[in-house]
Amino acid sequence: MKNKAIGLITANYKTSVPCALSKRRPMAGLPFAGRYRLIDFPLSNMVNAGIRTVGLIVPQNYRSLLDHVGTGRDWMLDRKNGGLFILPGTVYGGAHEGFRFLLRDIIDNKALLIRDSADYVVLSGSNVIVNLDLAAAIEAHEASGNSATIICHRATAINDDVYGLKVEGDRVVSLTRGVKYGDLESIDYCIFNRDDLIDVIENFAQADYMALEEAMFKAEQAYQIGYYEFEGYAAGIYDAKSYYDRTMDIRRPEVYTALFNPDRTIFTKAHDAPPAKYFKGSVVRDSLVSAGCRISGTVRGSALGRGVVVEPGAVVTNSIVMQSCVIESGARIENAIIDRYNLVPSGTELRGTPDDILIKEKAEYV
Amino acid sequence: MSKKECIAMLLAGGQGSRLRELTKKNAKPAVSFGGKFRIIDFPLSNCANSGIDTVGVLTQYRPYLLHAYIGNGAAWDLDEPGSGVTTLSPYATQEGMREFAGTADAIYQNLDFIKMHDPETVLILSGDQLYRMDYGKMLAAHKAHNAGLTIAVMPVPWEDASRFGILLKDDDDRVVRFDEKPEKPESNLASMGIYIFDAKLLIDELEADAIDPHSSHDFGGDIIPKLLAEEKPVYVYEFQDFWRDVGTVASYHETSMDLLGDDPKFDLYSDEFPIMSNVSTRPPHYLGPDAVVDDCLIDNGARIFGTVRHSIISTDSYVGERAIVEDSVLLPGAVVKDGAHVARAILGERAVVEENVKFGSVDTTKDTALAGDDVVIGRGE
Repeated sequence: MKNKAIGLITANYKTSVPCALSKRRPMAGLPFAGRYRLIDFPLSNMVNAGIRTVGLIVPQNYRSLLDHVGTGRDWMLDRKNGGLFILPGTVYGGAHEGFRFLLRDIIDNKALLIRDSADYVVLSGSNVIVNLDLAAAIEAHEASGNSATIICHRATAINDDVYGLKVEGDRVVSLTRGVKYGDLESIDYCIFNRDDLIDVIENFAQADYMALEEAMFKAEQAYQIGYYEFEGYAAGIYDAKSYYDRTMDIRRPEVYTALFNPDRTIFTKAHDAPPAKYFKGSVVRDSLVSAGCRISGTVRGSALGRGVVVEPGAVVTNSIVMQSCVIESGARIENAIIDRYNLVPSGTELRGTPDDILIKEKAEYV
Repeated sequence: MSKKECIAMLLAGGQGSRLRELTKKNAKPAVSFGGKFRIIDFPLSNCANSGIDTVGVLTQYRPYLLHAYIGNGAAWDLDEPGSGVTTLSPYATQEGMREFAGTADAIYQNLDFIKMHDPETVLILSGDQLYRMDYGKMLAAHKAHNAGLTIAVMPVPWEDASRFGILLKDDDDRVVRFDEKPEKPESNLASMGIYIFDAKLLIDELEADAIDPHSSHDFGGDIIPKLLAEEKPVYVYEFQDFWRDVGTVASYHETSMDLLGDDPKFDLYSDEFPIMSNVSTRPPHYLGPDAVVDDCLIDNGARIFGTVRHSIISTDSYVGERAIVEDSVLLPGAVVKDGAHVARAILGERAVVEENVKFGSVDTTKDTALAGDDVVIGRGE
């Protein structure tokens, strides 16, 4: 069967601010919203648009990422025709910050593009939290007749980590790093005509470390690049602060509903955690709680990952506690991110401030 | 096909009429239980955790949701080629088509499935029970006794014994008598409806039973009494752990409440013997700024803005502001709107209690209130 589009996800780039959360794992493998990892968003957006062939470009430290995606079964990508392809990424991309789509990564994995007959290739990064109707965007691209369409939204804040679009009419004329409020900001999803994308990488086969968009704008043949404005919730994660803010955003009903719209499920690796259990005396307010948690203490304004235990008398405030942590009786946690498998002993205080979130790094699995 | 030591046949075709509205559109084994599970998860997980990799699931009553839920068995790791889960429904032959006429007839009509796998023993299970059991231990006892049939039993309170099939055994665990719902029980060992048969004996007995015009084709009513009359080696295997039949609205509610408390009788959190399920991916649940939760189970996708006490809130359920839910079970997608009060009730899947409406009563002398799937409870109902 001919596919309309195939997908290619880059998960091998580092972000501008080194962050304790991504010291031992790629950002794409970062746990998010209790039960997900960042990679679930691009994978789900693609499969929800009917894409059944997805290449995933992985970095050197891919263990946790591959542990998560496996054969792609949970995203319906364990298939006879198409499916999930794990592709090697360049070291360069992981050593230099700021890339989204490095030409060399696409050149090295050209096989994925030439072995398929799809009309379109959807490229995406893995830092943006969004539930996107990609099928509608592909249709708009198809109708436009352009070579490429960049999906963007209006920036809601000054941000140096993202790319802004300079446009003339319905054409994109350049991409620049950094945006201010109200600018058109790329959300790191682009749709290409497959033939044009192959053309570009063949013309620039000798160019070692160039960004794809740079090649597109430099090419002798003038490619027509359009944009597609997305109006829903989309926000990127580049450092601990944005990670914290994006997680806390989900407590807002409109964000919860937009991201976890039952019509377009965000898929993730299946787990059999039983429902969360609240014991007598627990006090839990304004918080997100994942399955498998057992709570006897107090939790306010926080997000708990799968299987977290909060013992009687423990207090967790304005914090993110990731999977399988145990907060012992009498421990207090405030404005903190507690990475997976940590045991916070009785009587401990872990306290950050709203402007300086404390991070407790991932503990060894025991 | 390689020879199997033991395959399981799971009886999942009954209507389950005693669950009333809960089984109006849905077979009993597919009824939601425990916040995120469905009843059939318990026997299927027991099979997977006991190393039984071939399970025939006999379905008949409203099988669509049940079949869709079982899928290819992958959710229980029961999807290997040549084994795994197979759904077995009534089928047509050159002689025509007939429904399953009883538990024994259901197995009889699927003897070809058993013969194809050619196992040494056949484990027969019910699809409406909540328990955690290593069938491997029962199988070891069956083999040690060189039994033709082993019946799992458990001690029940003497005052309840006349509601069950009661077995009398000798010192060697061999069954000497079987009394179906005796008025004056002489033992309190009740049959759990879980049997291990020697496969050859099972095939012979079912083929004989099928042509017996006086038989009602039931294991408890016909097959077991006949085996005992013929002095075949029938033994009991005594099970001491938590086991409940969840076949009535009252037992469903009571067993659900047994999952709550500080030290519940049934531990959902066991890592060694996990209960697996085929659930859709939903996000963590959210408890609002004024939410009160006390002694509850709450699953993914739920949103709670009111008060929930001593209750089970299943996947994607909703409890509005100022609403109170107590001693109740909300099945997946059930909605309790702002200011409503739900007490000692079971709300079916996607059932709705409208704003400020009271449903059910904390009065334990009254029956548990029950709203079926998709039912809307408004004022005056």
